[in-house]
Amino acid sequence: MKPGVWQRLDIIARGLFPAFSVFVLLLINLLPISVPLLSTASPALALMAVFYWSVNRPDLLTGVTAFLLGLVQDLLMGLPLGVSPLVLLLVQTGSASQGRFFHNKPFSVMWWGFALVAIPALLVQWLLSSALIGALLPIKATLISYVLTAVLFPIVAWVLARAQNSLLRYV
Amino acid sequence: MAQHGGPQQRIFSPLRTALHRFAFILLIFSAFGLMLLGKADTVLIERIRAASADLVSPVMNIVSRPAASINELTDKIYNLAHLYEENERLRRENQQLLAWQQAARNLSHENARLRELATYTSPPALNLVTSRVIADMGGAYAHSVMISAGSRDGVTKGQAVISDEGLLGRVAEAGYQASRVLLITDINSRVPVVVENSRDRAFLSGDNTNRPLLTFLTADAAVAPGDRILTSGHGGAFPPGIPIGIVSSVSENAVRVAPLFRRHQLEYLRVADYGLQGILSEERIRQSHPTKDENTTELSPDIPDGVGIVPAAPDTAGEAQ
Repeated sequence: MKPGVWQRLDIIARGLFPAFSVFVLLLINLLPISVPLLSTASPALALMAVFYWSVNRPDLLTGVTAFLLGLVQDLLMGLPLGVSPLVLLLVQTGSASQGRFFHNKPFSVMWWGFALVAIPALLVQWLLSSALIGALLPIKATLISYVLTAVLFPIVAWVLARAQNSLLRYV
Repeated sequence: MAQHGGPQQRIFSPLRTALHRFAFILLIFSAFGLMLLGKADTVLIERIRAASADLVSPVMNIVSRPAASINELTDKIYNLAHLYEENERLRRENQQLLAWQQAARNLSHENARLRELATYTSPPALNLVTSRVIADMGGAYAHSVMISAGSRDGVTKGQAVISDEGLLGRVAEAGYQASRVLLITDINSRVPVVVENSRDRAFLSGDNTNRPLLTFLTADAAVAPGDRILTSGHGGAFPPGIPIGIVSSVSENAVRVAPLFRRHQLEYLRVADYGLQGILSEERIRQSHPTKDENTTELSPDIPDGVGIVPAAPDTAGEAQ
């Protein structure tokens, strides 16, 4: 019995899930939410997901995918073009190579790892955006954004872990 | 995906790592290439941005509705808790407003009579398009929102966007069914303004904080905290007299303005087509090229005398955004 077409399509669809989840988080980032703090600085949800998948399933979220998702982020959010692709690509490459370090460790280790990775990621984003816009952007918003990103990471990671367990166990 | 062992793996894995490394370097270079491309600010990038806004707008249009209803719920709870205070405040405000209404009626009659006497030509009528905010690109790097109206509804680049309270920004890119609005707090935003009482002219320059700066003020300008800031209508991009904000702080080197709109509570916005199109769109710049050699009067019917950036020479028109 040869593997059915549906079975193969199912595996492909499941394989696309990590990239799709990053895209969905990007759209969630875009939602107009009536919290005063979030309108000036929002958590970098896409960064969290890219880190999570690069550590856990680097085979399903490759550098090219991270690059393209960054491009989508720049286009949708009206950011200077090219900055997010670079940042997400660097985060993907860096985390994927250190992925083994996080395996079979408690979640807090991964959380610390993310909090560390997010610092240079947001700094590079801030620096390059400032350089491309031609004026120093207020660092305060970036700092708030960093704190939000680091604090909210467990929630996003928990949701992604649930999805990984239910959808990607055999892929 | 699945782990394979065997001789195939031994041959292909070095090749694969080399390929990976090459792809990584290629992607890094293309990221920098994109930065250059974006910096050149071509029409292409703008079209792609508008198209991507169009693509996600149906999704955002639907998912932003539950978000709006959750916001409504939190608003209701807040309102219930502050019912008494709010009522008192509104009663006081109503008294003041009734007095203002009387004053406004008198003034508008007087104004009409004076206009008749002076044969005043009234400015073009506003054409308003109302649309919903479907996305807020909140963040440390850009201040803009996405609205559910595009060229389908007559929205074009450069038009003024107004909330209930006052000026919000301008249309940065207009897609077919969605557009991106650059807020006045964004670092790329410059709006010609006038101080309401002293009539001093200035520019309101965003710097990605919630309090944009008043720049290009003359040295003898009299600005004090609490002064209202209005659009001046210079440059023909925005209608004159739209309220923008209130001067919040005046220091030696910076005058900051608190915008009237509350960004986290934006829901419905109006896009104002003033009919002037002071901010030159790409099409108008391109149109202005052939008229140079032939008949230059072709452009003049659209632009009233003395208003707007008149594209005199094509090379200077290219520099205007």
